[in-house]
Amino acid sequence: MTGWLGRLRLEKRNAPGTGVLLLVPLVSVVAALLFGAVFLSLIGLAPVAVYREMLRVSYTTGYGVADTLVSATPLILTGLAAAIAFRFKLYNIGGEGQLYVGAIAASGAALAFGDRLTGPAAILLVIVAGALGGAVWIAVPALAKAWLGTSEIITSLLLNYVALFLMQYLIFGARTFWRDPESATFPQGARIPDATRLPTLGTTRVNLGLIVAVLAAVVLYLLLTRTRIGYRWRVFGDAPAAARYAGIPSRQVIVVVLLLSGALAGLAGATEVAGRAGRLDPTGLALNIGYNGIIVAALARYNPLAVIPVGLLLGGVLNAGPALQTLPGARVPVAISTMLTGAILLFALAGELFVRYRIRMRDPADVEQLAEQATTAVASPRAATGPEAEA
Amino acid sequence: MSDMSDTPDATAPPALEAVGVTKVFPGVIANAGVDLALRRGEVHALLGENGAGKSTLASILTGLYRPDAGELRMDGAPVTLKTPRDGLDRGIGMVHQHFRLVERFTVTENIALGDKRLPWRWSAAKVRTEVQQLAGRYRLPIDPDAIVGELSVGERQRVEIVKVLYRGAEVLLLDEPTAVLTPQEADALFVTMRALADDGRAVVFISHKLREVMAVSDVVTVMRDGAVVDAVRTTDTDPEALARAMVGRSVDLSTRWARAAPGEPVLKLAGLRLDAVDGRGRLEDIDLEVRAGEIVGVAGVAGNGQRELAETIAGLRRPDAGTVQVLHRDITGVRPSQARVAGLAYVPEDRLGTGLAPSLSVTENLQLTRSLPFLIDRRGGLAHATEVIERFDVRTTGPSAAVGTMSGGNAQKVLLARELDVRDGLTRAIVVAAPTRGLDVGATEFVRDLLDARRAEGCAILLISEDLDEVRALSDRIVVLSEGRIVLRRDAADAEVTELGLAMAGQAAPDDSPDEPSDEPSDNLGGPR
Repeated sequence: MTGWLGRLRLEKRNAPGTGVLLLVPLVSVVAALLFGAVFLSLIGLAPVAVYREMLRVSYTTGYGVADTLVSATPLILTGLAAAIAFRFKLYNIGGEGQLYVGAIAASGAALAFGDRLTGPAAILLVIVAGALGGAVWIAVPALAKAWLGTSEIITSLLLNYVALFLMQYLIFGARTFWRDPESATFPQGARIPDATRLPTLGTTRVNLGLIVAVLAAVVLYLLLTRTRIGYRWRVFGDAPAAARYAGIPSRQVIVVVLLLSGALAGLAGATEVAGRAGRLDPTGLALNIGYNGIIVAALARYNPLAVIPVGLLLGGVLNAGPALQTLPGARVPVAISTMLTGAILLFALAGELFVRYRIRMRDPADVEQLAEQATTAVASPRAATGPEAEA
Repeated sequence: MSDMSDTPDATAPPALEAVGVTKVFPGVIANAGVDLALRRGEVHALLGENGAGKSTLASILTGLYRPDAGELRMDGAPVTLKTPRDGLDRGIGMVHQHFRLVERFTVTENIALGDKRLPWRWSAAKVRTEVQQLAGRYRLPIDPDAIVGELSVGERQRVEIVKVLYRGAEVLLLDEPTAVLTPQEADALFVTMRALADDGRAVVFISHKLREVMAVSDVVTVMRDGAVVDAVRTTDTDPEALARAMVGRSVDLSTRWARAAPGEPVLKLAGLRLDAVDGRGRLEDIDLEVRAGEIVGVAGVAGNGQRELAETIAGLRRPDAGTVQVLHRDITGVRPSQARVAGLAYVPEDRLGTGLAPSLSVTENLQLTRSLPFLIDRRGGLAHATEVIERFDVRTTGPSAAVGTMSGGNAQKVLLARELDVRDGLTRAIVVAAPTRGLDVGATEFVRDLLDARRAEGCAILLISEDLDEVRALSDRIVVLSEGRIVLRRDAADAEVTELGLAMAGQAAPDDSPDEPSDEPSDNLGGPR
């Protein structure tokens, strides 16, 4: 009836297979790299050389891999924070702020009590303090959402700025408990006691935080898929009316899920303090790790296990940015990493279309044949009932 | 096809004709070589189960879809309809089941909306006069200045009809128009449909209600699995033959009553009151007993407190006064889970979204109202789901399929399997709301069989539905709910449609009959079965 365009159609997939679910992010990454290549060419750089360098500094050398793992650790945690909330349609945009407050709480606890503790107890202290800090920071948005129906998107987002200024004040604004009294020239955070530092793996800079993050992902996955609690959360996320009908306390779900989300983001702050920096370092923390966690979660389709590889991928891309800057002779802008992450997300979101639908070209001859089959099927005395979908 | 030579204007080509129309959707042949001739002066019923292809055909006839094969002809000449507007411009109008009106606009504004003939500054007075003329001519009483949001469902439907008439529709398609109406409103609609046909228009009545098709149509086309399986003059057929053609086998949708005298009262509502919130959701002085082994039907027009009644009983709302008892146990205002423990099952009218979580699997949905251990028994759940799918003949790709991808009938089977498949023997009272709404004849028969079986096993069942046919088909006693009050109580055997309909419309004499009949309604016991 029309040309080939008229015969192209989108068909809804009933259940997308694992193949498609894996293919879409991979294709998104490739597409983002091609997209980035256009820009690199425009500013007179050879994309292949830049990408080869990215691979080198992030994925194919020992140092590179270690750096990627260090960058990925907080990303996995903030990714989990976003995944657990977004999956149940609770949009915690405040991972950034919860990470800062987690870092403040972890460093505060380490400075206050770290001297008196040793071994696992000291490490547990910073981890728990960080998680608590993050949870406290989401508590008000969570309670307001549960009892007043306030949009958690707005409240959690705005608190990010409060947390940022709080953290900056603690180091740059006044002589506080967190500030190092020794450094007179440039204000910086006081070093936390060695006992509270996360142990590193071997001779690398990779620290215990990575293990904590991976463990958290596995525990969350099991919680969601194997337990009554996860089941109830999934019912709530899918159909709040069904949750009410089944007697699942919605307010409790909202509060617990959001607190858990905040705690995970706070944990990311704690691993940054106790693992990477060793002090409360406002500049080193304000790298959008919380916001990037949302990208990680979206690419992982809010699946906790998938957050791990996606975190590693994005960790590498982000890690490559500063490294590329130091390339001799080339002026690769540091923003290339940010642009690539953004592009990956955009392509992945576009790729959603292919997860839900498939594109098909139909041959008009097929239609005739199908019609014939249908007519004969109906004509037979006891026709098999066809699919009941009524379009 | 049977002979149609006695049509009023059989010699003239049909106003609109589908010739060999075929439409294929992924995995489904929605229409397979369908022939349909719509003649002026005729009410043409299009009968079929859900998924038989009626809606697809209607969409093709109105220009929403284009056929993959075959063609449309208007007055004998082939036409291609590109959009519904194209169809409307050529005089083909559709009244949809779900109204497409702007609630904040007046009737006149709604009717003028989208009319391209009107200039930029249109004269409301002119449209208004035309609306009044059309309304008067076809007995469609509407106030052109009323705000649509304040109109009843029946009134809104009249606005939709006037709207397509105003656009000059010569062929009118009405999609399941009686689903939302009281019997009296439906009768009034039939008068209108007849008047439209007598005026030389072609009227298509899409339905799966046999009684109405018999009452109003001149010609019936029955569809099954995307194809026309029967096309006859209404006078040459009967409901049984139509049902057989529609389902492909004979079905029993006759009225069923309890075969044994009801036992002790199981579900007891006393003085139940729910105060209105924003003028909605009122219940007043509801006294009702449902005894073991009986079905009490609650009839009423949508929005007269049915949902509130069901939710109050099920523990989803706390009443402002009164009590709910299951087997002498007070469950007033307890949590839904506790009501369940007391022996109450509840099938809500809203299947997907309330009764079922759409993107969760069959297995998971079967666990929704069960008490679960901390670690979910996945293997046991899967086995149970597999068994339910087998026993209830649920058409699905498997226990892991999301219920949201399944048809309404199959989703309802999953819901009923969970709430009514009570082999633990704990469930004694069942509240079911609109259990067969939107289901085809085959699935309806299945659901009725199931409810009948539970009644025979001694469950006390409260059946709440806006569909009077559904209430009458199963109930031993019927009460009518209007504006949150029970305004009429009748034994099913004594209940007359006219009286029930008037009560539903709020025009009944005050309820003065006693709740419980003093003696057993012995004439019920030998009811047709």
